[in-house]
Amino acid sequence: MSSTIKSIAFAFVTALVCSVLLTAASSGLKSFQRENVEVDQKKNILKAVGLIQDNKVYSKEAVKKMYADSIQAVRVSSNGAILKQGEAVDTALPVYIYVKNDQIESYIIPINSRGLWGRIKGYIALENDGSTIAGFTVYKHSETPGLGGEIEKRWFQKNFKGKKILDRQGNFVSISIAKGELSPSFPKEKKPNYVDGISGATLTGKYLTAGLKRTLQDYEPVSIKFRTKQFLQWHSGK
Amino acid sequence: MENLIGIFLNSVFVGNILLAYFLGMCSFVAISKNMETSVGLGFAVVFVLSITAPMNWLIYYFLLSPGALAWAGLPGVDLSYLKFITFIAVIAAMVQAVEMVIDRFSPALYNALGVFLPLITVNCAILGTSLFMVERDYSFMESLVFGIGSGTGWLLAIVSMAAIRIKLRYANVPEGLQGFGITMIMTGLMAMGFMLFSGITL
Amino acid sequence: MKLTASKHMKAFSTPLVQNNPISRQMLGICSALAVTVQLKTAIVMGLSMTFVVAFSNLIISFMRHMIPRNIRMIVELSVIASLVIVADELLRAFLYDISKQLSVFVGLIITNCIVMGRAETYALGNPPGLSFLDGLGNGAGYGSVLVCVAFIRELLGAGKILGYQVVPAGVYGLGYENMGFMQLAPAAFIIIGLLVWLQHALSKTK
Repeated sequence: MSSTIKSIAFAFVTALVCSVLLTAASSGLKSFQRENVEVDQKKNILKAVGLIQDNKVYSKEAVKKMYADSIQAVRVSSNGAILKQGEAVDTALPVYIYVKNDQIESYIIPINSRGLWGRIKGYIALENDGSTIAGFTVYKHSETPGLGGEIEKRWFQKNFKGKKILDRQGNFVSISIAKGELSPSFPKEKKPNYVDGISGATLTGKYLTAGLKRTLQDYEPVSIKFRTKQFLQWHSGK
Repeated sequence: MENLIGIFLNSVFVGNILLAYFLGMCSFVAISKNMETSVGLGFAVVFVLSITAPMNWLIYYFLLSPGALAWAGLPGVDLSYLKFITFIAVIAAMVQAVEMVIDRFSPALYNALGVFLPLITVNCAILGTSLFMVERDYSFMESLVFGIGSGTGWLLAIVSMAAIRIKLRYANVPEGLQGFGITMIMTGLMAMGFMLFSGITL
Repeated sequence: MKLTASKHMKAFSTPLVQNNPISRQMLGICSALAVTVQLKTAIVMGLSMTFVVAFSNLIISFMRHMIPRNIRMIVELSVIASLVIVADELLRAFLYDISKQLSVFVGLIITNCIVMGRAETYALGNPPGLSFLDGLGNGAGYGSVLVCVAFIRELLGAGKILGYQVVPAGVYGLGYENMGFMQLAPAAFIIIGLLVWLQHALSKTK
C-alpha cells in the first residue's frame, strides 16, 4: 500500500515541479516571442512591396522603423470605405497601405488561402492603379518541401510582379497559377493573368489560385476605388 | 468531402509520414525483418493514430489553445505550451489500452510484437501526426481522416519494406551495408517511388 | 585521478564514434533527417538534442534512487517532455526564424529513441557526472551525423553552406546545376546509408 502512495506522491510532486518550471519559462519568454511574431509580420508586409530583400539581414529595430515610416494599417468596410480608428463594423477587412511622400504607392492585402496540406498565408500587394500586382509573398504554409513548398521561393513569387488581375476588357479575373511552366503556345492576351506553376504541385497551385481569387474578390470594392482614382493622397489622421 | 479524400490520399502516398517526413523509423527498421509482425504492428499503429489524432484535437481546441478555455470562463488563458506533454500522455494511455486489448484477443500477436508494442508510444509518427494536425489547423473531421491516412501510409511503408527484405535475403549485400545501411538506401528508393504519386489529380 | 579522468573521457567519447547513436545503435533517426536540408537547421537541431539528452540524463540520474519502479517510464517522459518544451520556448524567443523552419521536429525530440534509450540504459545506473557526459557524447554523436548529412545536402543541393553561396558563379556558367534531388526526402536516406557504409569500412581498416 505504501509503495502505491509513494508512487502517487512522487508523480504528484513531479507534475507540480514540471508545471511550475514550464509556466515560468513560457510566461518569462512570452514578451520576446510576441515581439518576434510582430516583427516577422511587419517584415513580410515590407517584403510584399519589395522594401525588404531576401538575402539581406535586417535588425529588429530596422524593420520596425521601416514599417513605421512606410506602412499604415487600416481597416476598410465591405464597400471599400476606410474606417476610422474606433469604428466597429462586422465586415471590416484589414489593408496595409504603402505611403511614400504622402502618396499611396500600393496597398497590401493579407492572404489566407486553403493549400494542399494546410492554410497558405501571405500577402499580395497591388499598385495604386488597382489592377497591377506589385508583389507577392508567402510566409506560412504546410506544403511538401520541394513540391508545393516552392511557393515560398523567390523564383515563384517574383513572377507575380507586373501581372494583372483584370483582363483586356477590364473584367476582374484575378491571377491564376498555370499547370507547370507557361507554354510558348499559351494565348498572348491571357498571359498577364497567369504565372508559371510548379511541376508536381498542381493541386497546391489550384488551391492557391482559388484562395487568391476569393480574397481579391472580397477586396474588389477597394481595388475599384483605386482604379477610379479615389485613393491617391494619404492624409495622416484620416 | 473531396477535401477529406484529398487529405487521406495525400497522407498515404505523397506526404507519407514515413517516406516523406521520416517519422516512425526506429520500429520500422527493427520490425520490418518479419512480415507477420510488420502487418500486426502496422495495424496497431493505424488503430492508435485513428484514435489519438481526434482525441488530441479535442484536447487542444477545448483546453490548450489560446482562448480555448472560454467555455470555463477563462478566455485569456493560453496553455498551448503544454501540448507536447499532454499529447504524449494521451498517446501513452492509448497505447496501454491497445496493449491490453491485444493481449486479451490475440496473445500470439502480443508475444510476437514483444517490446515493440509499448514502443509505439515513442514512435515519432504518432506524436508527429498530432503535432502536424495542430500546425496545419485541421478541423475535427480532417484530423480524423489525417490520423487514419497517416497510419495507413505507415502500414503501407512497413509492409512494403518487409516484402523487399524477404527478397533481399538472396542478394549479395556488401558487408558494410548489411542491416541498417541497405535498409536506409532501400527506404530512399521507396521514397522516390512514392513521390511519383504527386502527379495524381483528383 | 588518472583513472577517473579517462573514465569521464570515455563516457563522452564512446558515443561519438564507436557507439554512435545513429550509425551503430541505429537509434533516433526520426527527427533527424527532415531538418538536414540546411546546415543551419541541422546544427540548431543537434544542439537542442544535446541539451535535452544531457540534462535529462543528469536529472534522471539524480533521481535514480528515488523513482518508484512502476511509474519509471512516465517520470522519464515528463522530464524529457519538460526539457523539450523549455528548449522550444527558448528557440521561439531567441532564434525565431530557425524555429519556424524546425517546426514540429523540436517537439519530436521527446519521442526520439536516443533520449529515452540513454535514460533507461545509462542514467538509471550511473552517477550524475558520468550520465551528463554520456548525454553530451550521444548528443554530439547524433549532431555530427546530422551535420555531415546536411553539409552534403546543402552543398550539392543548393551550392551553399550556412546560406552562403560557395559554388562560384563561374561554375554555373559552365553548365553545372544544383542537384535538386538533394533537397528531397529520399536523398537523406541514401546519404545516411552510404555514411554508415563508410563508417563500417573505416572502422574495419583501423
